[in-house]
Amino acid sequence: MTRYVIRRLLEAVPLLFAVVLLTFVLVHTAPGDPVRILAGDGGDAAYYAAMRAKFGLDRPLAEQLVIYLGSALHGDFGYSYVQRRPVFDVIADRIPATALLMVSALLLSMVLGIWLGASAARRVDRLADRVITVGTLIGGATPAFWLGQVLVLLFAVGLGWLPVQGMTSARGVAPGVDAAVDLLRHLVLPVATLGLLQLALITRVTRSGLIEASREDYVRTAYAKGLSPATVLRRHALPNVLLPVVTIVGSHFGTLLTGAVLTEIIFAWPGLGRLLFDATISRDYPLLMAMFLVASVSVILANLVTDVAYTALDPRVRLT
Amino acid sequence: MDGRAAVVGMILAVVFAACTAPSPVGRASASASATPRRGGTLVVAASADPGQLNPAITTAGGTHFVADNLYNGLVFLDKELNLKPDLADSWTVSTDGKTYTFKLHPGVKWHDGVAFTSADVKFTFEQVLLKYHSRTKSGLEAVLARIDTPDDNSVVFRFKTPYGPLLERLDVVEAPIVAKHIYEGQDPTKAGANLKPVGTGPFKLAQYVKGDTIRMVRNPDYFKKGLPYLDELVFKVIPQSSTQVLALERGEVDYVSGIPGPDLARLQQNTGLTIAKSGAGSGGSFCITTLIYNLSRPPLDKVEVRQALAYAIDRQQILDKVYFGQGRVAVSPINSSIAWAFNPNVTKYHLDPAKANQLLDAAGLKRDANGTRFKLEFVHATSFAKIGDLVKQELAPLGIDLQLTALEVNAANDRTFIGKNFDIGSASYCNGPDPEIGVRRVFVSSNIGQILFSNGAGYRNARVDQLFDQAAAAADKSERAKAYFEIQDIVTKDIPVWSLVETEGYRVWSAKYHDAYYWSGNLAEAVWRDQ
Repeated sequence: MTRYVIRRLLEAVPLLFAVVLLTFVLVHTAPGDPVRILAGDGGDAAYYAAMRAKFGLDRPLAEQLVIYLGSALHGDFGYSYVQRRPVFDVIADRIPATALLMVSALLLSMVLGIWLGASAARRVDRLADRVITVGTLIGGATPAFWLGQVLVLLFAVGLGWLPVQGMTSARGVAPGVDAAVDLLRHLVLPVATLGLLQLALITRVTRSGLIEASREDYVRTAYAKGLSPATVLRRHALPNVLLPVVTIVGSHFGTLLTGAVLTEIIFAWPGLGRLLFDATISRDYPLLMAMFLVASVSVILANLVTDVAYTALDPRVRLT
Repeated sequence: MDGRAAVVGMILAVVFAACTAPSPVGRASASASATPRRGGTLVVAASADPGQLNPAITTAGGTHFVADNLYNGLVFLDKELNLKPDLADSWTVSTDGKTYTFKLHPGVKWHDGVAFTSADVKFTFEQVLLKYHSRTKSGLEAVLARIDTPDDNSVVFRFKTPYGPLLERLDVVEAPIVAKHIYEGQDPTKAGANLKPVGTGPFKLAQYVKGDTIRMVRNPDYFKKGLPYLDELVFKVIPQSSTQVLALERGEVDYVSGIPGPDLARLQQNTGLTIAKSGAGSGGSFCITTLIYNLSRPPLDKVEVRQALAYAIDRQQILDKVYFGQGRVAVSPINSSIAWAFNPNVTKYHLDPAKANQLLDAAGLKRDANGTRFKLEFVHATSFAKIGDLVKQELAPLGIDLQLTALEVNAANDRTFIGKNFDIGSASYCNGPDPEIGVRRVFVSSNIGQILFSNGAGYRNARVDQLFDQAAAAADKSERAKAYFEIQDIVTKDIPVWSLVETEGYRVWSAKYHDAYYWSGNLAEAVWRDQ
């Protein structure tokens, strides 16, 4: 398997190169000029020229690309035009918040989704199944930007149970347990918003997988051996259903990342989402390039982890 | 000192606390008679993460809104734009208008305890502001000859030609002073101190959690005795204004600037809030939403057509429906808040579609079989989309087919100011505290070029060019006002751009807090909280 992982990582190199090339062309050909945007409503030709020279934007585009690639190979991805710090420092500051949001949403949607899917599969065509099925249809079709606002209006403004925005309270929170509780309270609504689509998908895949499995010979055999329904589910049916669930999670990692961008903006969550939005608006080329690269690497890694996870879940799978 | 020295403008050392804090307009403030109390935390909603905390290297509103509270300018502008002392206690201007001499407040210390001196002022201008603060660079670089520091407490600005509007450019938004001993020998745009700022301001940085929270604490050695009153000033980054308002209503934050129109009526019913409005702020002051006519394209090259549009567009409707009444219908391209320069007696164009039709007929623009006289493309940022819809409806009966091209803001600005590929463009031109800063660029022919927010119309009028030069060179304000009055007379007849609405932002804060300088960069210098 080690050879497989190394091969996949090596295969990713040309892919990442293509991503860099494509994003370089895209961000540089999009209308809008970072220097003019930086100047805002001030600035004149002299300011534009000075800043272009400072950022190397006065050189031909092809030369800029060569310089960028050369620097990138040495691990230097440049400075943010706006924040004037190395781009990976800027990104690193924001990764923990986004990672917390995404991992929480993923875990919650997996645990709840498998439980709901199993519950529905055990009660096919009964009320609980129908409620869950309709719920997943609605959940899968609900856009995050709408859901987030409704949740805020209901649970934060209406009932006053949870905070409206942010990751932490601005005042009056002692470190330790209080801070942890404060963080959890802030996490609830963004995680619910981000996790709903995944939850709907996982629930549906689990349900249909279990219904299909219940007709398989090995399940019938398990029942014939006198095993309880719970044991049959846990030991025999569910492990087979986990493969498509893992596939869903892996293949939707990019969707989750996109959802995180929207969710973070709605809830003022201090992660990569708002940073990406701001970098786009200000045409902060180095920061944008680095963020696309980080997103691409994370999607590639997520797919790799998915493949490796298959081997753990199904001993028949061999990665060569 | 050359030219010597009748004192033209002079402010004696006034204890800053005596600087009157104006009352908010929306609701009476309880602060006038009450005694300020010490202590407490003010949590302010910030629309953007500042990114870095050196306001001298940028004009970005998101940075200034936060970082200005850590610094000072040489002067402070009160709500009526009157000059008040800040780092400079007093100043004199030579009779020829070419030399400004500032006396600095003695005993000012940077946050790290080092003494503030005139060398810091000279360094800030020469090495930072004139290189990286785009407005200060474009405004002063060409006219400033040199800066002298005869002693630690004196700074002398010497100009190549007489220059009138210097003082208004010296507040913390336009010219924050940074520490020479911190930045010397470094690229100030990349210095580590931009994240660990050392200022002279009322607050010191305690913590900066990127994208989330900027926590400041009182500067106990602040040079304005007794200030600030607050223990802490916290900025909470909340990008969406609707979320900011909800956070205010829930008590998660105490101060919000920029209220969405639909929320205003509800907030006005809340007796626990103080509401104020102002056209000034750290992101740009006294802004006017403006249509830009491309004078190089027919039929907008005809003044009758531009005047017809002026009679046809209902600006009151735009104010009411787009801005929810947050502002005033514009009279001229100089904002009425700059009272000394504003000319109220210019040509006025009241809503009169019949007159508009007459003007178009007189211009020889006949209707075709479909009743259409001509088509115009309105290139605008998506934020101007509602204006586009309203104007399109108003122009249709005149036989003008307005094609709406809504683009992302940078793409729209590119089309208008760089590519010049538009019939009608749009911009929010912010005047700044002086017409020299934000109005000149819109009309002078030397500013026709590929520059954002420049003379996008391509307007050329030798008399207007001459008057702007006169206004800049005159040291006497009445002389300057005379030039600006004539300019407004001319351009409201020529209408190369059409000023729609003077926009004003509402600020709302918890009524427990008083004396917010909501129009200034130093928002919380004098804020205090009820017990």
